[in-house]
Amino acid sequence: MTLILFKDIDTPGLTSIDVYEKTLEGYQALKKAFAMKPDEVIEMVKASGLRGRGGAGFPTGLKWSFLAKDVFPRYLACNADESEPGTCKDRELLMKNPHLLIEGMILCSYACRIETGYNYMRGEFWEYESVMEKALEEAYEKGYLGKNIMGSGFNLEIHNHMGAGAYICGEESAMLSSLEGERGEPRMKPPFPAVKGLYGQPTIVNNVETLCVLPFIVRNGAAAYAAIGTEKSKGTKLVSVSGHVKKPGNYEVPLGTPIIDLIEKYAGGIRDGNKLKAFIPGGSSVPILPASKADVPYDYESLQAAGSMLGSGALIVMDDTTNVVSEILRITSFYMHESCGKCTPCREGTRWMYQILSEIQNKVGKPEQLDLLIDICDNMEFKCFCPLGDAAVAPVVSSIEHFREDYEELLGSLKTGQPVGTT
Amino acid sequence: MNTATQTDTVTLTIDGKSVTVPKGTMVVDAAETVDIEIPVFCYHKKLGPFGCCRMCLVEVEKMPKLTTACTLAAGEGMVVKTDTGKVEKAQQGMLEFTLLNHPLDCPVCDKGGECPLQDHTFRFGPPDTRMEYNRYPRDKATPLSPVITIDRERCIACQRCTRYSDIIEKDQALVMLNRGFQNRVATFNDQPYDTRFSGNVIDICPVGALTNTDFRFTARSWELTNASTLCGHCACNCNMTLGARLNEMKRITTRPNDLVDDGWVCDKARWGYDFTKSKNRIQQPRKQGQAVGIQEACAEVAASLKKIVEDHGPNSVGFIGSGYGLNEELYLYQKLFRLNLGTNNIDHKTYTDTPGLPVAHFDLLDVETSDLVVLIASDPTEELPILDLRLKKAVTQRGVKMIVLNDQQTLMDKYATLSLRYNIGSDRVVLAGLNAALQGQAPESNLEQATGIPADQLKAFADKIKTASKVCVIYNPAALSGGSVHTLKQCLATAGGLADTTVGALPAAPVTNAVGAMDMGVLPDCYPGGIALTESDAIKTKWGDTAPLEKGLTALEMIEKAKSGELKALVVYRCNPVVDFPSGHEVGEALKKLDLLVVHDMMETETAKLAHVVLPSNGPGFDEGTTTNIGGRVQLRTKGLTADNPGDWKIISTIAKELGQETAPKDVHAVTAEIAEKVNGYQGIKRSSIRKEGRNREGFPSMNRASVAEANGSGDGLVLRVASVLFSHDKILDAESPLAHQFQPSTVHLHETDADALGVQEGDEVRVTGNGHEVKAEVRVSNRCNPGGVVLPKVSDEQGVMSLAEAGKALSRVTIRK
Repeated sequence: MTLILFKDIDTPGLTSIDVYEKTLEGYQALKKAFAMKPDEVIEMVKASGLRGRGGAGFPTGLKWSFLAKDVFPRYLACNADESEPGTCKDRELLMKNPHLLIEGMILCSYACRIETGYNYMRGEFWEYESVMEKALEEAYEKGYLGKNIMGSGFNLEIHNHMGAGAYICGEESAMLSSLEGERGEPRMKPPFPAVKGLYGQPTIVNNVETLCVLPFIVRNGAAAYAAIGTEKSKGTKLVSVSGHVKKPGNYEVPLGTPIIDLIEKYAGGIRDGNKLKAFIPGGSSVPILPASKADVPYDYESLQAAGSMLGSGALIVMDDTTNVVSEILRITSFYMHESCGKCTPCREGTRWMYQILSEIQNKVGKPEQLDLLIDICDNMEFKCFCPLGDAAVAPVVSSIEHFREDYEELLGSLKTGQPVGTT
Repeated sequence: MNTATQTDTVTLTIDGKSVTVPKGTMVVDAAETVDIEIPVFCYHKKLGPFGCCRMCLVEVEKMPKLTTACTLAAGEGMVVKTDTGKVEKAQQGMLEFTLLNHPLDCPVCDKGGECPLQDHTFRFGPPDTRMEYNRYPRDKATPLSPVITIDRERCIACQRCTRYSDIIEKDQALVMLNRGFQNRVATFNDQPYDTRFSGNVIDICPVGALTNTDFRFTARSWELTNASTLCGHCACNCNMTLGARLNEMKRITTRPNDLVDDGWVCDKARWGYDFTKSKNRIQQPRKQGQAVGIQEACAEVAASLKKIVEDHGPNSVGFIGSGYGLNEELYLYQKLFRLNLGTNNIDHKTYTDTPGLPVAHFDLLDVETSDLVVLIASDPTEELPILDLRLKKAVTQRGVKMIVLNDQQTLMDKYATLSLRYNIGSDRVVLAGLNAALQGQAPESNLEQATGIPADQLKAFADKIKTASKVCVIYNPAALSGGSVHTLKQCLATAGGLADTTVGALPAAPVTNAVGAMDMGVLPDCYPGGIALTESDAIKTKWGDTAPLEKGLTALEMIEKAKSGELKALVVYRCNPVVDFPSGHEVGEALKKLDLLVVHDMMETETAKLAHVVLPSNGPGFDEGTTTNIGGRVQLRTKGLTADNPGDWKIISTIAKELGQETAPKDVHAVTAEIAEKVNGYQGIKRSSIRKEGRNREGFPSMNRASVAEANGSGDGLVLRVASVLFSHDKILDAESPLAHQFQPSTVHLHETDADALGVQEGDEVRVTGNGHEVKAEVRVSNRCNPGGVVLPKVSDEQGVMSLAEAGKALSRVTIRK
C-alpha cells in the first residue's frame, strides 16, 4: 500500500534537510504550489477529501475557505499539543520528519495567504523542540522560510512555541489563548478561529498529521489522495495502537481498514493468547466498544455508526483479563486532572465521577451509584463549555452500557463500610 | 416602523412572548425585558458574555443542544424556551454541581439575603444533594486585601472578579490560579489586592466569597436601611447605596447609573466614610471655644457681621466656600452675602475659572460616544477615578482615540494615541500654541524650548482634532495657571468653530460640586447661572435693585486683605485654607487678624481652630440636596443617617433671618425649587425629575473675560507641580480609615537629569524648600515630568505641600537639598 506519512520515516538522518530533500522529494511541492494561485491550492485540498486529523474530522479545505475575507494578517497555528491519552502519532512525525511538517505549514500558509505560523507543541515535547528548532533553522537557511520564498514573493515566518503541559490547550481556542500568553482556557465560539482567532485575527488551526499530508496532495494531485480510503473517509490515517497487543505502535493504514486487521495484522494480535474484550477506537475521549464491533472498518462514518468515533486515531485495546472499570477510573482521573475548571459541570462533575468510580473500584460502592453516574453524565453531556466535558462523559456512559457486568461484579462483592474519602 | 429600526432590532419569541430588542442583545437580557428570569452567575452586563457557570441553559428551536442564553445573541425569528423539562433538569443539575463543594454556611454569610446562589437555588435548584463526600478543603476567610476578605470555600469560580480586573480596571491584578477543581482567585505572589477600584468585586460576586471586611458580621443585609445617595468625594458624583443600621453607617454599595458611574465606584467612595463617625467631627457650635446652641451661634454670627458691615462697609466681609457644599447651601450663602450683606466678596476656589463654555458642556457618557477624547492637565485616576474607568472603556471597548496633554505622567498615557508632556508652568504657552495650530498658524518660534513640545507634535494634535467628528475635551482648571484657562477656552472656541467637528468639554476640577459652585455664583464676579456683573439689568430683575454690582475679592485676595487688615470678617464654609491654599503657612497669620472668623465645617480643621465661631456642617450621609457633576448632571443626594444638628441650609437661613431676611425656606427642597426658579440652566430641575438618573442642567455661554496672565513666582530652582492623590491622608480619610493602608509617603519626583545634577538618588530623603517653607520627601527618579520640573503628590495634610506654592503666581520654584 501507499505510505504517505510514514514513507521512509526511518531513513537515518531524515531530520536533516538534505536527507529530507533527497529521500522524499523534500520541499518539491512548494514549487508546484507557488505556480498555482492560493485559492487553487485550497480547491485542491478540498478535492482531496482530506479531513482534520486532530479529532473532529472536519474537512480541511472547507475550514480554510471559512477564513474571514480580506482580513489580514492571518495566522496559522499548528496544533502539536498531542495530549489525548493513547495518541502518539504526531510525536513520531515531529521526532523523525520535522521538515515534512514545515513543508506542510508552508503549503497551508501559502494557500491561506498567511505570513506567520506558530507550531504549538505540548510542554512535554521538549526533546522535539530542539529537533524542530534545528529544522526551522535549516529551512530558513535554504530559503524555504523567510522573505520571498524561492522567488515567489511569498513571505512566511514560523515559530515554535512550547505549551506548559495542559491537555485543554489541545482544544483550539484554549491553544490560541495559551499562545497569546493568557490562561489556557477555551474561548467562546462563535467567533470561530477562522474569523477571530489568534490576536483577534483570522486563524487556521490544523493538526500536525493534517499538515503533513499536504506535500503529498500537492505533489501527486488531489485524485491520488482521494483514491485511498473509503468514499467519505479519504486517505490514510496514523493509528496509535496501544494496550494488550503484542506490537503496540503507530501504524499508517488506509481509512476503512477493519479494526480487527489493525489489531491482528498490524499490532500482532492480543497478548498472551487472550481474547479481545473491548477497545477504544479514537483516544480516551470516545465511547468504548465491545469485541463484537471489531470488524467495523476504521473510518469516520463506520465508527460513528457503531456508536463511537475515530477521534485522534488512538486504538486502545483491552483483553479479557480486564475489568473495564479500572480503565474508566484511570481515564476519569485524567479528565479530573485536566479539566481547566472554567465551567461548572466539567470542573465539579469530573471530580464527583472520580470519587464515585473510586468507591466502586475499591468495592465499597453501592448499586444505585450506576444510575447516579449516568445522571451526572446526563447533566454534563452537551452542557459543558467545551468538548472536554463531553469527552469525560463518553467512556463512563459507554462502559456502563456495554460492560455493566464489570461494574456489577465490583458492586456485587459489596462490603459494608464507610465511603472512602478520596483525593 | 422605519427601515433603520428594522435593521437595528430583532424580534424573537421567548416562552411564547414576542420580544423586540436591539441587535446584539443577549437572549438572557432580552428575556429580562419581558420579565422572564434566566438565572445567571457568571454573566454580567458590563463584563460581557463568558458562559462558564452554565446556569442559563435554554432550549432554542433548531439547535440540537441546550445553549447558554448569556452567550447567544438574539436572532430574528429565534424561538427560545426557558421552562421545559429539559431546561429545568439542566438548571437543577448545574445548581447541584455548583453546590457540591459550597459550604452552605448561609446563616453566617454576609451575602445571605442578597445572594444569587441562595435565590437561584430557591427558585431553580434541586431539593437535595446526592453528594456524599467531604467538600474539597479550601481556605476560609483570608484577607485578599486589608478591606476585602475572601472565603474560598464559597467561591464558585464564576470569574466575575477576575474578568472585572481584566476588562474594567484593566490591571489583571486578580487572576485565576491553578486548574480544575483546584483553581482559585489569586493575585501575583499573593500580594494584597489593593487597587483603586477593588471593592467593586464585592458587589459583583454572586456568592459570599468576596466580602467587605469592614462590614463583615456587622449586620444582616435585610436589617439595613438603604438610602439612594451620591458619593461626596470627587466631582463625578457616583451613585451609591448607603446602608445603615441603628443610624450607624455600615457599608456603601454601588447603585448603577450608566450616565454617571457605569455601575462602579472607587474604593474611596466605598470605604472613605469614616468621617461619618469620626471623633474629629465638629459636634456642636462653639463661640470663642465654648459650646453654644445653634440659635445663639447663628445670632452671634449675624450680629457680628452686621456690626462690621455698619462700621466698615459691606466689602469688609467675605465668604470663602468650596465645591464640597451642596447647590442649596452654596446658593443660600451667596444670597446671604449679596443680598443681606451687600458684597460680592464671594469665592470657592484658589484657581481661575469662569462659568460657561464656548462649546457644549458634555456629559460623562459623551466620553464613550466621541471619537476623540482630549485630556488636558487632568489626572482622572487620582482626581476623578470613575472617569478613569470610563476612559479605559472608551478606548478599549469603543475604539475612542485619546490625546493626553499634561505636565506630568499619568496612567492615562498608555491608553493615549498621542501623549504630550509640557514643561511644568508652560501651560499658557502650550495652549496658545495649540490655538495657533488649530487656526492653521505657526506657533511661536520658541515653543519647543519653552514647553518641551516640538511644534510638529502640537500640529499633529491640532490635526487630530480637526479630522475628528466628535471631540470631548476634559480639562482640570485647578491644574492650570491663571491665564491658561482663558487660553484653553479660546482653543475650545476655535475648535468649536470647525465645520465638521462637534466639540464639547467637561470642566473637571476634582472637587465634589465644583461645577455647582460655579453655577450657584459662588464667585466674586458672577451671579448664579453665569450672569456677569456687567449684566446689571438681568441682575436687578432677578435679585432686586440693591444687589451689589461691584466686583468682589477672590479667595486669595480675601486672604491678602485679611493680612493687610482691610477685610474684617470672613465666613469659611467647608474648606481649610490653612492647609489647602497656596502659601498655606501664611494663611493662618492672616486669618488671626480678622475681627470675625466663622468656620462652618464638618471636621475639626486647622482653620476651625482659629475661628471665633464654629458651626457644624452635616456633610455627605447626613445632608440632603443636589450636586452638579463635571458633566453638568444635577443629582439628588439623599440622607442615609440622621444628624444631631440641623441641616446646613437651616443654619444659613437662620443667619439670614437674623440679618433681616424676611422669608425663610421651610425645608431644603424649597431651596432646590428656588434654584430652579432663579438660576439659569436649572429651570427643569425638580426633585422628582432627578431622583433616578439625575438630569443635565443647561450650560451657559462662556463669560467673556480678558486673559490675566499671572506673574511667575520668585527665586530659582525647579518648577513645582503639586499632584493630586486619591487616597490622601486628610480630614476625610484619617488614620482610622479602612483605607489607611493606601496612604503614601511624601515623595518628590525628579527627572533623571535633574537628579544627576543635584546628586540625589532614588530613595534619598531630601528637603524641598520654597516660598519660605520646607517639606520633607523621598526622592523618586522618574520621567514623570520634563527636566526642570518637580512633582510633589499631596499625600497628606500634615505634609504641608501647598505652602511651597506661592499664592497667585503662575509657577513656583523649589530647591532640593539632602
